[in-house]
Amino acid sequence: MHNVVIVGAGPAGLSAAIAAAAAGAPVLLIDSNPRMGGQYWRMAADSLENQIDQHYDLETGLLLINAVKARKEIEVWSNAQIWSATHKDGVNTLRIIHQDNEKIVNTKNLIICTGAYDRTLPFPGWDTPGVMTPGAVQSLLKGHAVLAGKRIVVAGSGPFLLPVATGVLKAGGEIVELIEANKPIRWLKSFAAMLENLHKINEGYYYLKTISTGKVRPRFGYAVVRAYKADNDELDSVDIAKIDRNFNIRKIKNIKCDVAAIGWGFTADTSLAGSLGCKQIVAEDDGVVIWADDKQQTSVTGIFVAGEITGIGGSELSMAEGVIAGISAAKFVGCKVEIKKAHIKRRAKKQRFATALIRAYPIKSGWKSWLTGESIICRCEEVDLNDLKHAITELGATDSRTAKLFTRCGMGLCQGRICGRSVVDLVADNLEISPTDIDRIAAVNRPIITPIPLGVLAAGE
Amino acid sequence: MSQSEIEFTYNDQKITAVAGQSVGAALLAVNIRSLRLSRFNQNKRGIFCGIGVCFDCLVVINGVANQRACIIEAKNGMNVQTQVGSNA
Amino acid sequence: MKNPDAIVIGAGVVGACSALALTNAGLKVLVIDRGPVASGTTGAGEGNILVSDKEPGAELTLAMRSRDAWFELDTDIGGGFELEAKGGIVVSRSEKGISNLKRLATLQKSSGVETIELDRNGLQKIEPYLSADVEYGVLYPKDAQCQPMLAAAQIMRAVKKRGGVFVQGENVIKVNSNHNSVTGISTDKNSYISPIVINATGTWAGEIAKMANSYLPIMPRRGFILVTSPAPKLIHHKVYDADYVANVASGQADLQSSAVVEGTASGTILIGASRERVGFNGELDVAILRQLARQAISLFPILSNVQLLRAYRGFRPYAPDHLPVIGEDALISGLWHAAGHEGAGIGLAPATGELITSQITGQSPFMDPSPFSPKRFQGSEYVAV
Repeated sequence: MHNVVIVGAGPAGLSAAIAAAAAGAPVLLIDSNPRMGGQYWRMAADSLENQIDQHYDLETGLLLINAVKARKEIEVWSNAQIWSATHKDGVNTLRIIHQDNEKIVNTKNLIICTGAYDRTLPFPGWDTPGVMTPGAVQSLLKGHAVLAGKRIVVAGSGPFLLPVATGVLKAGGEIVELIEANKPIRWLKSFAAMLENLHKINEGYYYLKTISTGKVRPRFGYAVVRAYKADNDELDSVDIAKIDRNFNIRKIKNIKCDVAAIGWGFTADTSLAGSLGCKQIVAEDDGVVIWADDKQQTSVTGIFVAGEITGIGGSELSMAEGVIAGISAAKFVGCKVEIKKAHIKRRAKKQRFATALIRAYPIKSGWKSWLTGESIICRCEEVDLNDLKHAITELGATDSRTAKLFTRCGMGLCQGRICGRSVVDLVADNLEISPTDIDRIAAVNRPIITPIPLGVLAAGE
Repeated sequence: MSQSEIEFTYNDQKITAVAGQSVGAALLAVNIRSLRLSRFNQNKRGIFCGIGVCFDCLVVINGVANQRACIIEAKNGMNVQTQVGSNA
Repeated sequence: MKNPDAIVIGAGVVGACSALALTNAGLKVLVIDRGPVASGTTGAGEGNILVSDKEPGAELTLAMRSRDAWFELDTDIGGGFELEAKGGIVVSRSEKGISNLKRLATLQKSSGVETIELDRNGLQKIEPYLSADVEYGVLYPKDAQCQPMLAAAQIMRAVKKRGGVFVQGENVIKVNSNHNSVTGISTDKNSYISPIVINATGTWAGEIAKMANSYLPIMPRRGFILVTSPAPKLIHHKVYDADYVANVASGQADLQSSAVVEGTASGTILIGASRERVGFNGELDVAILRQLARQAISLFPILSNVQLLRAYRGFRPYAPDHLPVIGEDALISGLWHAAGHEGAGIGLAPATGELITSQITGQSPFMDPSPFSPKRFQGSEYVAV
C-alpha cells in the first residue's frame, strides 16, 4: 500500500516524490516514459552513448533522478500509461496500462504532474512530413540522438525556441532561420520579474551566444505561415512572413528547408485531473489548467497538482510547486511536516517570472488569417476550415462542441489534443463571438485518457 | 553489429538502429520521414509532436495498426510497415 | 415569427422530423430548444433505423413506415447525414435464443418484414470476421443507419429553408393554456403564442407535460456506447445478439447489455448498448465498458486489437409499456406529445412526424395511432423506477 501516488516524473513529479519521501511517506511514482526526467530532462537510453549534452542544467535533473532512485520509499513504474481514472467517495481509482497488462491503483492521496505539450496552430501545409513541433526536434535529439533534418527552420513564439535551436547547432545541424513572432521589447514590461530571476537572463544569453556562434541571426516579428511540398510530398520550403503586432501578414519570402519546427508555447495536459473532477480554469494564455490552492491542493480533497498543469511556467516553477505538493500530500497522510516560508517565497518568485513569460509571448488572433478554406484543421480526421464553416453556416452549429460533432473535428486518435484549442477559437471567430470558459473546458474533456485496446479492456476486472 | 545495435525491417527494408531508439527516430536517421498515408486524402504523414500526443506517426508493427512510431522502442526483428489509412 | 401555427419544443431528431412534416403540410412552424440542435439524446445515439428488433404490432408498423420514410426524406432534403441501408444481422448462440429468434423472425416475416435465415457458412460469407462459433443468424436487409446529429441538423436546415424558424438557447418554463386549451409557451426570455404545441423533448417530456399541468410518465434509461479508433472495414452490417431484443422489452432496473457491433462511414466501430435505469447519473462506469468490450470481442475476436477511443452515454426516454407516446395530451387540447421512443427515436422519427402531422391537420393517418396515445396512461398509477 502506497501512501502517496504521484503521476509524472518530470521536474514537478520528481521534486514532489523526493519531498514526500523525505517527510516519511512511501511513494509510488507512475510515469508514461521509459525513463524519468519528463520532457524537460528527456533521457536517452544508456546504449545511446557519446551523445551531445542537450541540456542546459542536466545536473539538476540527474540530481533529482538519482535521488529518486536512491530512496527505498519510492517505487517507480515507468512505461505506465493511465487510460482512465475515476473518483468516488474520496478514493481515486487509476487504471493503468503497464507492460501490456492493466493494473489498478486505488489511492486517497494523489499528486498529478502530467506536464504539457507543444501548442500548435494550424496553417496551410502544416500536415506535410517535415513540419513538426520544436518538442519533437528536441525529443529526437535528447531521447534518440537523431537530428530531425539537414536544414531546419525553428519558429513560433516563446523562450523554448532558443534551447531547441541551440540543441540543433550543438549536434551539428544547420538552423536556416530562427524566428520569433513577438518582439523582445515586450520584456521591458516585466522588468522586476527579470531582475529577481537574473540567472534566467544568463540562460537566455547562453543560448543566444551559441546561436550567434552558429552564425544564426534570430528574427523577431516573423512567422512561418505556409509550408510547401516537394515532388515526394515531403517538406520543400516554407513561407516566412513579416507580421504585425496582431500577427497579420505584411510581407512574405520563401525559404528552402527540410524541417520546420514550429511551436506556440505549451498546452497543459489536464485530462487525468479533469477526469477525477478537479476544477479546471482558463489561464491568462487561454489554455485550460487545473486550479490549486496555496498548498497545491485541487478542488478535490487529497488530490494535489504541480508543474505545468497549474499554468505554464517552466521547470523552476514546476520544481517549486512540486516540493510544496509533496509536503502537502505527506502531511495529508499524517507525516509531521510543514511547508516552509522559503518554499512559498520561491514559488512566488518563479510565478512572477512565469507570468512575465506569458505576457512576453502572446498569441495574437491574426494567425487565423493565415488559413485558407482548404487548410486542414484536424489532422486526425482531415477536417478543413471549409468543413468547419459549413457546420456553422449550413448546419447551424452555435458552439465548438456541436461543430466538432458535425465534422468529427477533434474526434480522432489524439482526442483533440492538437487542434481542440484552435477549433474553439476558429468556431467562435466564425460566429463572431468570444469563446467562453465553458467552451474551452469542454474541449479538453477526455474520459478515455488514452486509447486502450479492447482486448486489454475486456481482460480487466 | 555491435552489441547495442539492433535490426528491424521497414516495408521489407533492413534498418539498423541503436538500442533504445524509437522506431520513428531510427527511420528518420536513415531519412525515412513519411510513415503513413492518411485515411481520407491519402496524404503522407510523419513525426509531428514526437512525444506520443498527436498520433500522426502511426505505423503497423508486427501486424498491429495505429502504433506510434515516435514512442515505441525499436526492437530486434520487428516488422514495421507503412500504415495505409487505418489498415493493419 | 410572432404567431406560428405550431411550436415544436425540442430540436432533436423527433422534433426536427415533426417540424419538417408540419412545414411540408403548409404550417408555419417555430422550433425551440434550450441548446443547439441534437444536443440531447439524439447526439448520444448510434443512429439505428431498425425493423429487426420489434415484435409484430403497432410499433413494428410504425418502424416499417419510418424506415422507408427515412429514404424518402434523404431524397427530399438532399441527404448529408450518412444514411446507409447496411442491413442488420441478429445472431444467437444459445439453444433457447435460437428458437426465440426463429419464432420472432417467422412472426416478423408474416408482418411483411424481409428476413433471411443464415447458417454458419452464410454468416461467414457476409461477415468474415464473425466468430466461427456463431451458427445461426437472421439477416434483415432493411435495417439501416444514419449519423443522427447530422440528420437532425440537415432536417432543421430544410425546415428553415422552407420557412420555419429555429430559436435556440431559450428554456421553456411554462406551457400556457386557457380552459384546458393550449395558447402558447413562455421561455426564460420570451413568450410565444400558438394554438398547437408539440412536446418533442424526449427524456425531458415529462417535465414539459408538468408545465402544462398535465402528466406523462417518461423516464430516463442510461445507455453507453463505445467508439473505437478508425479501423478498416471489418464489419459490414449491424450485428447484434438476440438477447438485445429481449433487453429492450425488459423491466429490470439493473444493467442489461448485449453487444451491438457495427462499422460507421468514418471508420470507427460502435459497440452498444447497455441499458440501465439509474436516473440521470452520468458517471463513467468502467464495469459496463468492460462488459461491452467482452461481448463485442466474443462476436468479433478481431476487435481485440482495436482501440477504445471514446465512450459516451445518453439517456433514453421510455414509457412504462415501452411504446412511444405520439398523440394529443389527455387533458390539454392542442398539446401534442412525440416522445418516449427509448432506443428507437432515430428510427421512428420520420413516421412519428407524419403521424403527428396527419392528426393535427385532420388527414387520415397511415396507421391507427391509438396504441401510442398519451391517453393510455390516464387513471393508471405509473411510478418511475
